[in-house]
Amino acid sequence: MGACICKNKANQCHADGHAHGASSNSQSRTGRAEAQTIPHVNRSHQPSGQGHRRVTGSSSSRRESQRNVDSLVLETLSLIRTLVDNEQEPPQAMVQLQKVAEKETGWLEVVRSLILSIPLDNPLGPAVITLLLDECPLPTKEAISELHRNLGLSCRGPCDEYKSVCCQRNICVMVGCLAEKLAGPNSVSLLSKELLGYLVHNLDKSCAEVVVLHSIVALEKFSQTSENKVTINKSLQSKEPNPLVVLEEWWKDPSQLRWEVGFCARWCLDNLFLAEGRTYSYENEDLSAINVMLNSNDVSEYLKISADGLEARCDASSFESVRCTFQVDRGVWYYEVTIITAGVMQIGWATKNSHFLNHEGYGIGDDEFSLAYDGCRQLIWYHAESKPHLHPCWKPGDTLGLLLDLDKQQLVFSLNGDCLPPFHQLFTYTRSGFFAAASFMSYQQCAFNFGSKPFKFPPKDVEFKSFNDHGNLTAEEKIILPRYKKLDFIKNILVKEDSCTLCFDNPANIVLLPCQHMGFCQKCALQLETCPICRKHIKERKQVPVDLECSNLEDEAPS
Amino acid sequence: MAGLPRRIIKETQRLMAEPVQGISAVPDESNSRYFHVVVSGPADSPYEGGVFNLELFLPEEYPMSAPKVRFMTKIYHPNIDRLGRICLDILKDKWSPALQIRTVLLSIQALLSAPNPDDPLANDVAEQWKINEMQAIHTAKQWTKEFAMGPGQ
Repeated sequence: MGACICKNKANQCHADGHAHGASSNSQSRTGRAEAQTIPHVNRSHQPSGQGHRRVTGSSSSRRESQRNVDSLVLETLSLIRTLVDNEQEPPQAMVQLQKVAEKETGWLEVVRSLILSIPLDNPLGPAVITLLLDECPLPTKEAISELHRNLGLSCRGPCDEYKSVCCQRNICVMVGCLAEKLAGPNSVSLLSKELLGYLVHNLDKSCAEVVVLHSIVALEKFSQTSENKVTINKSLQSKEPNPLVVLEEWWKDPSQLRWEVGFCARWCLDNLFLAEGRTYSYENEDLSAINVMLNSNDVSEYLKISADGLEARCDASSFESVRCTFQVDRGVWYYEVTIITAGVMQIGWATKNSHFLNHEGYGIGDDEFSLAYDGCRQLIWYHAESKPHLHPCWKPGDTLGLLLDLDKQQLVFSLNGDCLPPFHQLFTYTRSGFFAAASFMSYQQCAFNFGSKPFKFPPKDVEFKSFNDHGNLTAEEKIILPRYKKLDFIKNILVKEDSCTLCFDNPANIVLLPCQHMGFCQKCALQLETCPICRKHIKERKQVPVDLECSNLEDEAPS
Repeated sequence: MAGLPRRIIKETQRLMAEPVQGISAVPDESNSRYFHVVVSGPADSPYEGGVFNLELFLPEEYPMSAPKVRFMTKIYHPNIDRLGRICLDILKDKWSPALQIRTVLLSIQALLSAPNPDDPLANDVAEQWKINEMQAIHTAKQWTKEFAMGPGQ
């Protein structure tokens, strides 16, 4: 389950003290005393700066309110691990932050706090920045120009207060999120010359890797506005060599952070910022030994898949999921995953009945047709409910082993060879039709091995098969096209004119009774209770010969 | 293109071939279920002259469930809240799979022409609209000027 906060709920505090590890994280990097005290209960309900003791002089009361915002940010960070249930209320701290951010000065305080207090070593840090900004109102033009002034960006970096690697990472994450939220002119005005110069300047192997990484992601998000995309492209192309082409070399580097940088640089070069003379990754990849991949047609929309089909990454604020291409129905099967980022991923097994509801925060392990391992929150997920497991938190470089024994009807997860006791719940409703599957929170990435390379921790006491030995993909099926190339295809697909006006997949051979409206196929008609045209209740769905069909949707007449 | 339903392909083709006046909906290059939408403020409304950005997303169940639409540009309107969420019946219980992206966007444009403070999403705005409509319209015009008339527009 992703940390998706239902916005319409009443507010209630859920500080249940289950925030393992988070308080120790919050102390270290910021080095400020107040960061260590995270009050859990009975905080004043007024927005900051109003209900507090009057302190003499406005600057000290300003500091006071900033401190208050800082502690709310850290509290949210510590609680976010415990938000395992979508029905759960958002933490009080988060609701208070939302209130603070309603005012322009408050919004700026929240942003300042995100930059200064989110520590570098908490794997959920960047995801929390995304989550909090997503909950806050959009900034005004004034707030954006004030933000620019505060950051004091130039090629040499931000102002002195924000010079640390941690602050710079947070700035990049923050501007990326804002770019994603703002559209059109506002996104263009956010990407000032200074900010663009700063982000592009960061694309250098001599910069801190984590800053390079989030600069790439921020540029990617800015490029959602086409005007920005042109500007960024120009800026990248004016450099010789193209900085992304240099960074792309880091893909699969033994340092996972460099690996991430390489992956993102490569993805941008294939999908957004094409470099002259560079061929697409999919054209260079040797896929002859690969018989099973992540399925680029069975994936939620924002997940990035590498050209070899074995690696996935999410940089969106939603909870993205994917299944592999190969289905297993009987026998014993094993695959491995290399953890590249230590945040929330739910990796396991799912049938086709498992739905990817990325925007609602549901993924693998969140229904009765899938079960998943979460090594960040140390949970096993099934049916959207979680149970703690005994493994330590996973770290970049760890290997997760996943064994599916359909004969004994059990699942075994191992971390670097250390096995958990078997799980059986998944077989309550389903006995066959399983796929390897995974879900990813923001900024998470991992690499799959379905058997095209030797396993690191093969199960010892059981005979198992690997997907790759039994899978089969045609050369065409192995191609993972850059997404914009897929769009070109759309224009050229022909749709038959006598097809169903709802799905355009099947012939329209049903008349609805009593209203007599036509233009629907059986599959769609069965999903309807009322007529889509007149909203009359449907009593009967009658089959009619297709050639008598006439389209009822004036809007869908042949064009 | 097994991944993208024909219905979405068909609508996309048509949106590109025959755009609606005052509305543009362009599929995202990296995600064909996500559309970048621009709606011009209707003439004779407080939003006239403004250019509003929206995002439109077609969920997995589309067209059996409604598209998700949100204003990205700040707007002062009783049926649109500060997060850009829209209170419009056809996006909720009155959704019909016979409706389409273009009809949804036309309805949203019509909502800008005819705010409905009796069915509010933004309570404070709706209240203002009822108590002092002149003032509310004035604010809406100001917001339009401030947030919806960016550089180059």
